[in-house]
Amino acid sequence: MSEQTEPTAKGERSLHLICNRLLRLALTQHSTHDYLREALEEALRATGGTRAFVARIEQESGELVVVETAGEGWTRRNRRLRLVPHNETQRGITGYVAITGEPYLSSDVQADPHHLRIFEDARSEMAVPYFDTEGRVRGVLNIDSVAPHAFNSVHLAIITTLASGIGSALAFDEFRVRERLLVDIGRDLAAITEIDQLASRVVAVAAKALQCEACSVFLTDEATEMLVLQASSSALNSEAGKIGYKPGEGLTGCVLTTGETIRLDDPRTDPRWTGKYPEFDANENCAYLAAPVIGRKGILGVIRVSRPRSRAAWFRATFTESDERMLRTIAGQFGASVDNVLSFNRSLHTERMAAWGELSAKSAHMIGNRTFAIKGDINELKYRMANCAERLKADPTASAFDRELCAKIDELVLSVERGIYRLEEILREFRDFVMATQLKLSTVDLNSLMRETVKETLGYRPSIHLTERYADPLPKLRCDAGKLKRALSELLDNAVSFMPDGGAIEISTSSFAGEDTVGSNKALVPGRVYLMIVIRDTGPGVPADMKSQIFNPFYTSRAKGMGLGLSIVKGIVDAHHGLIEETGEAGAGAQFEILLPAETVLKDEEESHDCD
Amino acid sequence: MSRILVIDDEEDVRLALQRRLEREGHEGHEVSLAGTTAEGEAALADSEEVFDVVITDMSMEDGESGVRMLKAAIQRDVFTEVIILTAYGNVRNAVTCMQLGAYDYVEKNIPDVDVYELLMLKISRALEQRRLILKQ
Repeated sequence: MSEQTEPTAKGERSLHLICNRLLRLALTQHSTHDYLREALEEALRATGGTRAFVARIEQESGELVVVETAGEGWTRRNRRLRLVPHNETQRGITGYVAITGEPYLSSDVQADPHHLRIFEDARSEMAVPYFDTEGRVRGVLNIDSVAPHAFNSVHLAIITTLASGIGSALAFDEFRVRERLLVDIGRDLAAITEIDQLASRVVAVAAKALQCEACSVFLTDEATEMLVLQASSSALNSEAGKIGYKPGEGLTGCVLTTGETIRLDDPRTDPRWTGKYPEFDANENCAYLAAPVIGRKGILGVIRVSRPRSRAAWFRATFTESDERMLRTIAGQFGASVDNVLSFNRSLHTERMAAWGELSAKSAHMIGNRTFAIKGDINELKYRMANCAERLKADPTASAFDRELCAKIDELVLSVERGIYRLEEILREFRDFVMATQLKLSTVDLNSLMRETVKETLGYRPSIHLTERYADPLPKLRCDAGKLKRALSELLDNAVSFMPDGGAIEISTSSFAGEDTVGSNKALVPGRVYLMIVIRDTGPGVPADMKSQIFNPFYTSRAKGMGLGLSIVKGIVDAHHGLIEETGEAGAGAQFEILLPAETVLKDEEESHDCD
Repeated sequence: MSRILVIDDEEDVRLALQRRLEREGHEGHEVSLAGTTAEGEAALADSEEVFDVVITDMSMEDGESGVRMLKAAIQRDVFTEVIILTAYGNVRNAVTCMQLGAYDYVEKNIPDVDVYELLMLKISRALEQRRLILKQ
């Protein structure tokens, strides 16, 4: 802002009065609209001007839009006036002030090259900018007069004061809008129970609050650990669920791994920038702001906004510190909501499993009884057929037809018997599924349990190359030995069945302390010692898109079995408060990692931990 | 000929067991049937001669039916051998039964096993044990 000439004593007094009135106005006016109108009226009174208006800079276009007017002669048409500061013929004195950020006084507009004629009778004109909290020009206050040489430096000082009041009022207004949005989003998000709806709502609100066209939300997919796009307020939205970043990939991936907010005026100059999935043309410079979405157990994802450079080169459309705070707040609310939805889904899952369990138990019981009765009939049938065969054998007159029939029936009986046995295997699977969570606990040595299981399950198989690596000593484990063996042998059986032509199985045990794991999705209790079992094979592995499903009941990629196998394994591990994950790479073999809390806490185990 | 009481709430099961038991051995067994715990208890009480073997389902009115039948049978004659049938592997109750003095328990659904033959084997052993005990 340029230095003003010293106001006269009279000017100083009136300036003082205006300041007082302005302050009162700001405190008493409820709406910004009323405040602006009053401020303009005040400006006209104090300067003797004819007309006054306030124009605000539009972020995206960089154009000036009239928001409030005072004085005579305003029409609907010239109220809709847009001034284009980067176009010399369409900017006028107002646009010129927006670009320079300096007050401007014209005593004879007809001779002034910056003047843009809006009113035929205008002779004098003055304009001053108002600023936001970041010191950026956000708009201009303009006053004209039908008299030439109507304004002096005192008038200019008066409206400069008025303009700064307007700047504060508008900044406060913006703050109020943001605050309201935050309250609204908090209420909205609490009512949403689907992650994708949550994401759509959040991008809409963030785009509005931060005045940018493009907001995108990414969440980490638990199975693949990829940061996957959930929703975007830009054209990118059509790619939701399909695209994403690896942890640490690009700026967005970096926000996930570091948990830091990234705010850049020109992301293209940052070495981490990849420009992989930009909301706008990657060649175009866009201001970039991204914040981590933090949940109870770590970083769930990333929310980012970008704003293309304003068409007006002079206007900085970059993100501010207050934008950053705003985005972090929205991200925080979003994180809490995602947590809620996830825990709701988890309890739904538990309920569903319980319902499955009850259904399985009841039907298995009924089917079991029926099957037993059928087995009785088959037993009887076999007995009769044996008698029949004996009689035929002893009877030389028996026809070939009778003999053949007898043999055929024998065959059928065997087939029915096989079918019944198969049915009983399914029943057994059902039973194990339901019983998975009913534990009979004892304290065991995991290594011995592992060795026994391997011996019992794999026995001697020359086609399988077995490697066992057991950390020794290992903290003791409190578990249901029978169930845990059942789970481990299921995994070993699985490995073998997926390698019909042989292969390698690697088994290892180890222990480590659970740490604060913000940044990874593993829900480990800090300070607890965990035992880890890894079973790796060289079979086909699990495709990335199936990883999340393999532990669901009735999911199977094999013809054999009910598909309860891995759900039983998970049920058993869950019941032990453990975690199971498939971490192999499709094509390179499956790798199951099981984490089980050890019996003791960290302090008692430090010695043995050191021995690992 | 031995006297056997079969208690199971499924008629098909009762009949299948009866059929098999009646042709077992040289002369077969004499089989009585009951469809509920109450019927079973009545059969135990009303019978003049004691039963050599009682075969009872574990789960009828509830998961403890077999336990009640076992107690009733032993109360009637302490040397009666009781075999518990369990569908859907209610093993925990089966263990309770063993502790209470059941001769054995047989799971109704064992893949690859002809449970009826297994049951006959266990019954003949139970009868053998009972003979030895009674001889003493």
